[in-house]
Amino acid sequence: MRKIAVVGPRQMLAPALERLHGARSVELICAASVREIPAEPLPPDPVRDGRIAALRSLTVRLDGLLELSGEAPAGEGAERHTGVVDAAAVARDLDAVAADVRERLGAIEALEEEQALLPRYVRPMRAILGLVPELARLNDAQLRGLGLETIALVLATEDDALLDALRSELVHRIGDGRFELVSAREQAGVLGCLLVFSRERSDAVHALLRDEQVRHLPLPQRYEHLSLRSALRAIEQRLTELPDQEARARADLARLLAEHCGDWVVARAGLGAELERLEAHALAAVTARAFVLAGWVPEPALPGVRAALADALGDAVAVEELRVPARDAETPVLLHQPAPARPFESLVRFLDTPRSGTLDPTVLMAIFMPVMFGAMVGDVVYGAILLGLALWGRRRFGAGSPLARDLGSVLAVGSAWAIGFGFLYGEALGNAARRAFGLDALWFYRGSPDALEPLLLFALALGAAHVVLGVVLGAWQGWRDGRPRDSLEKVGTLLVLIGLFTVAGVVSDVLGTGALPVAAIVAIVGLVLVLTLHGALGAVTGALELVGTVGNILSYLRLAAVGLASVYLAIVANEFAVVAPAGIGVVVAVLLHALNVALAGFSPTVQALRLHYVEFFQKFLTGGGRPFRPFGAEGVAGR
Amino acid sequence: MEIGLIAIGAGLAVGLGALGTGYAQARIGAAAMAAIAEKPELTGRAILLVALPETLVILGFAVAAMAILLLA
Repeated sequence: MRKIAVVGPRQMLAPALERLHGARSVELICAASVREIPAEPLPPDPVRDGRIAALRSLTVRLDGLLELSGEAPAGEGAERHTGVVDAAAVARDLDAVAADVRERLGAIEALEEEQALLPRYVRPMRAILGLVPELARLNDAQLRGLGLETIALVLATEDDALLDALRSELVHRIGDGRFELVSAREQAGVLGCLLVFSRERSDAVHALLRDEQVRHLPLPQRYEHLSLRSALRAIEQRLTELPDQEARARADLARLLAEHCGDWVVARAGLGAELERLEAHALAAVTARAFVLAGWVPEPALPGVRAALADALGDAVAVEELRVPARDAETPVLLHQPAPARPFESLVRFLDTPRSGTLDPTVLMAIFMPVMFGAMVGDVVYGAILLGLALWGRRRFGAGSPLARDLGSVLAVGSAWAIGFGFLYGEALGNAARRAFGLDALWFYRGSPDALEPLLLFALALGAAHVVLGVVLGAWQGWRDGRPRDSLEKVGTLLVLIGLFTVAGVVSDVLGTGALPVAAIVAIVGLVLVLTLHGALGAVTGALELVGTVGNILSYLRLAAVGLASVYLAIVANEFAVVAPAGIGVVVAVLLHALNVALAGFSPTVQALRLHYVEFFQKFLTGGGRPFRPFGAEGVAGR
Repeated sequence: MEIGLIAIGAGLAVGLGALGTGYAQARIGAAAMAAIAEKPELTGRAILLVALPETLVILGFAVAAMAILLLA
């Protein structure tokens, strides 16, 4: 990564920014804050600031509409745009459409509200109608003929005495025998009542309810003129119609948005690009006659940037390289991998971005992680199913989500390894192929009682190789960074591990006893290095470090543990198919295998990730890197 | 040694380790979720922290495997 300064005549600042924006290879930084640049920040310009505010407002409105239409702001068409967008025309277009959109949104909202509100009336109205079946039989005309009015009341009380108080007040105000008050307890604390009275007494009753602050259940306006029974029927009828009406309203809105979506995406890209260019002015520094821009550019892209500026602006604009101190924490990081390792970059960044100038572990992860995944799953059929799922998921979701594409690729590679290990273990649906077709293991079958020892040894060997590699890389990284103590400490750890491995070799009769003195000397030298380099508390912290490293290697036993759990679940599933009554056994077996495949897709991935993050990366990875964000890439972010 | 006792011992080694792991992961997981809610960029670190106590059950598995291999 190179740090550059772009210098030119002040009037060429805008075209220079336009060129750099188009190059999409430079991350701009505040030029005035760079020590080597003796220039002042560009003073504010009201015209430019006004334009920025207008563009921001427009982009926010466009984003809202595009989100409503389900279209990403940087969707298809975002890269097609090259010229300047007529912001005034876009604003006019938005104003014209906004009223229609608001109207349709309002209609949808009203329908949603109605669907939420109406069911609240249905239950109490049914309960009240049950109290007065005579009333339920009357239609609207008959009710009007009788000159009756009804009011539904909801009293929030546990105390029935309140009802008696209301009854005596009604007697007092409108007279005894001139009303009917019936009640039913709907639920704890809520008393549903129906008050039937002569229409002539309507004012007196309403005045009473208002004076006494009795909460009644007002029906929506469109049902007010109906009798209780008719209102209930109308509400129930309305509730059956509402979902269709809402669906039609939504389809209408989607149609309206779809008509404009394509233009909006292009306009959003153009406006976003202009906004980015205008906002970048704030990063420029100026003198009386010149402008200076500062930024980071990847080394391979530097000639392209120079050429782009020279083609458009000639010799008037110069690109100067600035000096960067070694291991500068401010230097942004652009991870660059060979194509097969690229999907694993997301997984590394998931933990942290390596700091500039330090080791990028992506390629190593691309080598080890699929092997670990395969060693845990280790089944031909499970591997094939997962491979199919990974390729399908990659095709189905990959276009819209780079993370989904990367995860699909990672799972596909791991699944291929799982098929390979499946042949080594002689497993296809656990022991199904072994029993049915006599599939033999090329190495060892994990379901056999004798398999535990080689499986554990394999897991430990893989762990030892991985951890030792991490320690070696840590030692190298420390040496490169000018941290010899860290480097020597790692060497000490390495020597102790070599000593321990040698002793293990002697114990298991792989090495002769003659190797023991050498192992002891190597381990002691390593131990001394580790304990002394940790300073005054070395005896404690150094020892803990060593125990931790051995624990890290033992942690790889999870490769065996997860694998054994998987194979035994498959064996149990197959036993069900054989032992249980024909139909049930097969169904249970299929369900168990499906569960096993689901677990195989998830658990080994998490375990392999953990082994990398905790056991491997911590030996050498220096995180805290700042990802490189090139100027001009905003409009196509997510592509 | 009685094979049944070895099996019980192996089961206890894994089971008690799993209990310890579960207890630790429950508490770390709750705290990690709270941290992610505040700062989604901590997701990777949170997974790392939640995964740390799994070493307990793996060591339990190692002890169980040793019991079976060396004693049975």
